[in-house]
Amino acid sequence: MVQRRTQDPTLRPSTAADPSAVHVAFEYLACATLWLLVGTAAGLIDALKLNWPDFLVVPWLSFGRIRPIHTNTVFWGWSSMALVGLALYVVARTSRVPLWSPTLSRFSLVLWNAAVIAGVLTLGAGVTRGPQEYREWVWPVALTFGSGLVLNGVNAYMTVATRNIPEVYISNWYILGAFCFLTILFTTGYLPFYQHGLGNVVIQGYYMHTAVGMWFSMLSLGIAYYAIPRVLGRPIYSYALGVLGFWTNILFYTLIGAHHFIFSPVPWWLQTTAILFSVGMMVPVWAGGCNLLLTFRGASGVLRRSYAAPFLVAGIVAYVLVSTQGTLEAFRTSNIYWHFTNFTVGHSHFAMYGFVAFVIWGAAYGLVPRLTGAEPNPILVGIHFWLALVGYGIYVVSISIAGILQGFSWVAGEAFIKSVEAAEPMWLWRTVGGVLMVASHLVFIVNLWAMRPRSSLVALPAAPAAEAST
Amino acid sequence: MSFHTSHRAIVAFAFFGYLALTVLIAILPAVSVQNTPGIPGATPRSELAEQGRAIYLREGCGYCHTQFVRDLPLDRPYGRATVAEDYANEDPPLPGTERTGPDLSNVAARQPSDVWHLLHLYNPCSVVPQSVMPGFPWFFEEKAAAAEGDVTVPVPPRFLSGQGRVVVAGQEARALVAYLLSLRQPALQP
Repeated sequence: MVQRRTQDPTLRPSTAADPSAVHVAFEYLACATLWLLVGTAAGLIDALKLNWPDFLVVPWLSFGRIRPIHTNTVFWGWSSMALVGLALYVVARTSRVPLWSPTLSRFSLVLWNAAVIAGVLTLGAGVTRGPQEYREWVWPVALTFGSGLVLNGVNAYMTVATRNIPEVYISNWYILGAFCFLTILFTTGYLPFYQHGLGNVVIQGYYMHTAVGMWFSMLSLGIAYYAIPRVLGRPIYSYALGVLGFWTNILFYTLIGAHHFIFSPVPWWLQTTAILFSVGMMVPVWAGGCNLLLTFRGASGVLRRSYAAPFLVAGIVAYVLVSTQGTLEAFRTSNIYWHFTNFTVGHSHFAMYGFVAFVIWGAAYGLVPRLTGAEPNPILVGIHFWLALVGYGIYVVSISIAGILQGFSWVAGEAFIKSVEAAEPMWLWRTVGGVLMVASHLVFIVNLWAMRPRSSLVALPAAPAAEAST
Repeated sequence: MSFHTSHRAIVAFAFFGYLALTVLIAILPAVSVQNTPGIPGATPRSELAEQGRAIYLREGCGYCHTQFVRDLPLDRPYGRATVAEDYANEDPPLPGTERTGPDLSNVAARQPSDVWHLLHLYNPCSVVPQSVMPGFPWFFEEKAAAAEGDVTVPVPPRFLSGQGRVVVAGQEARALVAYLLSLRQPALQP
């Protein structure tokens, strides 16, 4: 059993892999993983503070300062760097050309690391734009990050523009789209001209929602559309469904940010529009999710033996489930019970961890050894998978129960402190889940190191091998 | 021209499509509501309360405390429903997304005592034993004796490090309490 698992059957050395793209992708993954450690350490500190409020009573470690450090570091440090590292590789690979400018992306990585470091330090020092979620960074920090974003976008675009095949593979639609969307989104979130008073609330709903759906989801799906066919060695179930998912995601997802402010003074038509299109989101979610999952149909042999595939399956299943959960949360009736509760915290971790992080890991395990020729220990990959899956399972279930208990306590008209007492045992379980998640990240570091590119990495001669893109 | 073979078409449609939707769903609605005037007769915040608001932002209080009351029975303890006018002079407004602690839109009406708020900021458990709110003891100073003009806080001895010492509220504690006591919903004109 163990012997069989030590060689991933899907692992065939990649022909025509561009060594510079491999190195760049790995550098992004390595920096991202360091930020994963910092970001989840911050999350764990805040979780412990809800269990023991007297833990670490220090100004720069107080709950309200650590929380934005946690969210922004895992957003912009971990998820963005890891996804973009993989995306740059996918862009070059599916275009059958070397990355347009590895130097540009290396420079962007410096900018991004500088931004995340500055972000941690400024937020820790209390320099913030206030609790406007995911745009707490003051503008110089955001501008540094934004510059890296645009440069990477240019690099991805130019790589596709110089491609060696006529078609633009579906992954590149999602990836190039994501760079456009985050550029517009960041600019909209930071320009002040329409953000006085209630205007700010309208923008906040749009910003925090579409940041997740038009950046992280788009990149994750784009990478999944490459990684899943590549790992399985078979084409995607339906190319057309991928295209349908792309356009419907743009149309529906953009319009639903106001569902974060149901029953607020935000114009009622805007709230209703948001709820309607939240239902519409079922189209891209089920089209995209089922499309990716159907690609696995009949490939159970690979699924059993590959260590990358389980991450990808778990990630896509989480994508479908968490998006459906999001639609259910948008309704006015469910909002009464769920809004303002910890249920939202469960939802966001389900999305950013269960979906995004698992796709990143699946793609990293599925693609990086193929490029570097260096495999991680499959037993350790298995330990990573189960620690992460069980850890976040405990996390999401317990924090969601906490949210439901809070909601019912409020609806019952109890004193507020009763809802705190009701949630407390669940907060302890949440910390248990969080510890397992952090432990899994330590295992991932070991595995990532084992997959590192060695200096002997050279370009193999191009061969007309069957690719996922054909 | 086919989308499948034209990266320019894909990027142009995605970019301008998303930009158009952004303008329609976010920027234009924001423009249309951003100049809602404030409630006539509402008391402007004092200089000290304004400083307190900056501390409230700095310390991330808004991650756990909303300032957004809905027209729902479960929100009645927090005051009347929030209207656009309530956010008129708030930059940024602090509706919030999570209530790990209670809503504070009208906290001054519910809890008007400055001593209570000072104790609560020094150590929340001194007034609400089950509280999980972080304390901010660094906003206070423990002294052997209070000086002229000091605002002393009657902290129960078991929350103090030494016997016979007094706790004096620092500038930040006084500013934050001034802000909290300014959070009182003005009555709406009928």
